Amino acid sequence: MDLRNRLGRVALDRPAVLLVTAAGATRERLAVEAELARRRWPRASGPAAADLVAFAGAPAPAGDDDWAERLWNGVPAPKARVRVRDPEHAAHALEHGRMALLVGAGTQGRQEQREPAGHERHDADGEHPPQHDGHTASGRSEHDGHTTSGPSEHDGHGHDAHQDHGGSHAGTDQGHHGHGGSHPGTDHDHHGHHMGGAILGLPMAERADDRDGLRLDRLHVPLGPALPDWPAGLVVRTELQGDVVQRASVEALVPPRSSRPAFWSEPWLRSAAGAPVTVDEAARRRCAAHLDSVGRFLAVAGWRDPAAVARRARDQVLGGASVADLRSGLRTLTRRVRRSWTLRWLTSGVGVLSSTQAQRYGVTGPALLADGDAYDRLLVWLEEIDRAVDACDDRSPLASHALNGPRGRIAPEAPASRTLVDVLPVLLEGTEFACARLVVASLDPDLDELAPQHARGGHAHG
Amino acid sequence: MTTAAFWILAVLAVAGGVMVFRFDSMARATFSLLTALLCVGGELIVLGLEYLGIVTVLMMTIEMAIMAVFMIMFMMNPAGLMPMTMVHNKRGAAALCVTAFVLLVAGILLAPWPRRRGRAPADPTTDLGMALMGPQMLTMMTLGMALFATIVATVVLATRRGRYERYGDDLRATRPDDPVRGGVGR
Amino acid sequence: MAETAPLWAAVVLPVALVLVAWAAASVDARSAGLGRAVLRLLVQQRRLTRAADVLLVRVGTTLLPVAAVLAAVVLPLGFRSVSDLPDGIVWFNAMEALAWAAVWLTGWGPNSALSLIGGYRFLAQGLAYELPHMLAITTAALGAESLRVGALVDAQAGLWFAVWMPVAFGVYLLSALAMAFWGPFDQPVGTDVAGGAASELAGVDRLLFLGGRWLLFVVAAAFSVPLFLGGGQGPFLPAWAWTVLKTAAVLGLLMWARRRVPTVRMERYVELAWVVLTPLAVAQALVVAVVVLGR
Repeated sequence: MDLRNRLGRVALDRPAVLLVTAAGATRERLAVEAELARRRWPRASGPAAADLVAFAGAPAPAGDDDWAERLWNGVPAPKARVRVRDPEHAAHALEHGRMALLVGAGTQGRQEQREPAGHERHDADGEHPPQHDGHTASGRSEHDGHTTSGPSEHDGHGHDAHQDHGGSHAGTDQGHHGHGGSHPGTDHDHHGHHMGGAILGLPMAERADDRDGLRLDRLHVPLGPALPDWPAGLVVRTELQGDVVQRASVEALVPPRSSRPAFWSEPWLRSAAGAPVTVDEAARRRCAAHLDSVGRFLAVAGWRDPAAVARRARDQVLGGASVADLRSGLRTLTRRVRRSWTLRWLTSGVGVLSSTQAQRYGVTGPALLADGDAYDRLLVWLEEIDRAVDACDDRSPLASHALNGPRGRIAPEAPASRTLVDVLPVLLEGTEFACARLVVASLDPDLDELAPQHARGGHAHG
Repeated sequence: MTTAAFWILAVLAVAGGVMVFRFDSMARATFSLLTALLCVGGELIVLGLEYLGIVTVLMMTIEMAIMAVFMIMFMMNPAGLMPMTMVHNKRGAAALCVTAFVLLVAGILLAPWPRRRGRAPADPTTDLGMALMGPQMLTMMTLGMALFATIVATVVLATRRGRYERYGDDLRATRPDDPVRGGVGR
Repeated sequence: MAETAPLWAAVVLPVALVLVAWAAASVDARSAGLGRAVLRLLVQQRRLTRAADVLLVRVGTTLLPVAAVLAAVVLPLGFRSVSDLPDGIVWFNAMEALAWAAVWLTGWGPNSALSLIGGYRFLAQGLAYELPHMLAITTAALGAESLRVGALVDAQAGLWFAVWMPVAFGVYLLSALAMAFWGPFDQPVGTDVAGGAASELAGVDRLLFLGGRWLLFVVAAAFSVPLFLGGGQGPFLPAWAWTVLKTAAVLGLLMWARRRVPTVRMERYVELAWVVLTPLAVAQALVVAVVVLGR
């Protein structure tokens, strides 16, 4: 037992972290990412691989579905979670999470997480963290599965019911399904079994025509809000037939109010409000915003090496590195990405958005300029990065008219990201899953912009 | 040793076959069938027909994996939440299987098997190749072409999109009009 | 020249494979933190998703490393392999096909959409790479006029097959990456599906599955040495050293390739594989057949 504890301590000294970002928490995300890079802790791609869940910002629930809680339930023990509500506290919170894990590893042995078949419990309250507290942790190994409390999991066709197929990465309760044949009708023709509805509280696929006119199964899978390299707060509800997205609708989980302006468009918003902003501040923010998008796009495209470089460069730009330092590194990066013919081969023709179509949706910014596919949009980003670097030491004041942020025209009532979100369903229909991810990453809407601003007062945070 | 391996594989093969009827999950049924077929491949290896045995393992694994593609088409609920069997008319199928099994076993036990004359060849694979491709070359080549032609014809008949749909009525389009772009651009 | 190793080699084989895989993974991660990562998975609890088919997941995760080790049975170190089967090449191919079943079962079992997508992505990948792959290894067998791996090594005493069958060698390297769903072919466990077939695995299950993938990658890379690079043939050094050196070189090349290339999506690759690579591989086989007939 002692040896096991000691091994556990060594193992959890550098925990794998799943970073879940809420809309409006870009500052916190950047702080946590930088801290993780500094500590060289591994990143988990989903709850199954995570030891420590770091929530950046307060996750907004989707309707009455508390996806963040279900995601937490899907993390195998030993586990801990921290909430980062302030970028300054990122390092402190992560350290706290690590300590909680180490303490937890000291007091527990390994235990199989297993529930008797069909047994349901409603015990999520037992270890709810106090909400006002900065970070809470649980290293215990209780069976905290089966949060089938909401009505959402029992009505087969309501859109909330489809959460549990795991696309959102939250529907991963523990449980055991005995294949006992307790369901009637196993002797029938197997086509007779498609009736939608729900089994074990899980929604079933229904049937619809596919693109070749065959009548085949169609599964409802929500993408987001906790996928890796995914815009924070975005949920795309897809109907999947095999790998093909047959229909998609978009939902934005934004906090009801936000006291801070969206991070990536902050300089322009301030300028629009009449505050003095210099060109170099805006240029740095644009450069970093595009580097963030490029890093995300390359990560979704599966090119990890330059994606990491882009993210490092983003942190340098925001950290105030000198223009000379930035220029050489960024030139190398943009040249490397431009020269890759495999990237071009793999991403051209994905998510074509012509400028006429873009104008119809009111899209401005890089997506309109690109007038083409995902690869064209990437090229526009790279070009704007190269241009923005040159303006990074220009101290002159920013002209306060015709403001164009990283994602398009700055208009507090109709933010540019709103148009990008609106155009998503059209572009996603008929794409294959991997292409759909690329399309979303190539538009990279920033849902921080969608949170209603200046609505101060109201009720306090929960 | 060989006898023991033979019997273990034989029992496993039969058990796998029976389980195809017992499971109500598509994936389990498919893979118990695969288990049975892998055991048959093992039997062939035990009997000294290595090439045939290994090829059986290879072909059957890939075949069952391809079955999974159809599984997804007809049923996207993973883990077989919706119980369904892979056999229609379960009772009839089971009766047929048992009858065939009993007949074959009876045949094996009752047939007057000839004694072995000569010795097993050193390299049965070469002999197999010679037997198939030597005197029967023309037959095998015709058979191969016929099978291939059947596959192509089936696909041509099944697809709704020919070159006119892809390249336009005058076949002038530079890029085919496909739902998803391919990797070569033709 | 080929000889069969003593019985204890069967026990040593998995250990040796794990060691090579460990070294390769450490180099790939550019750190020595691999032990901690493995330990992390060992202390982590296993995890069950709701309504999962646990049996199939367990079979799938266990089958992957088992298939890799079984495939390595015909792999010669120097001139010795655990068993130099008369149909070694077909054996290797059959064991590598078992990985299809393993990944598919692992993807299907947890009852999760992302995991399912990962599982059938590997089937699409298999269908894409297998045709040119089979032609490539058939070409090598044709050059040696034998399906025995030992005979292949002997036939390359003069000239390596990689030199006069470059297309088959190139195709084999591509399919080595694809069969281990590694590097640019990691779509079945890609980050865009949050880990794909491995997305719902935790603890020992995850260790078996991802470790099995590393084993498969090492075996696939190492098999290119007897197939195309002359096995243990080489001057000065002992045969086993040549095998190790060549294997390390192939592994290094493949790991370098991953840093250069984004993930290859199958809807693009399948057309390339069937329309370009397959005819090229057939042409290569034809050339080799003519050469073999003429000698």
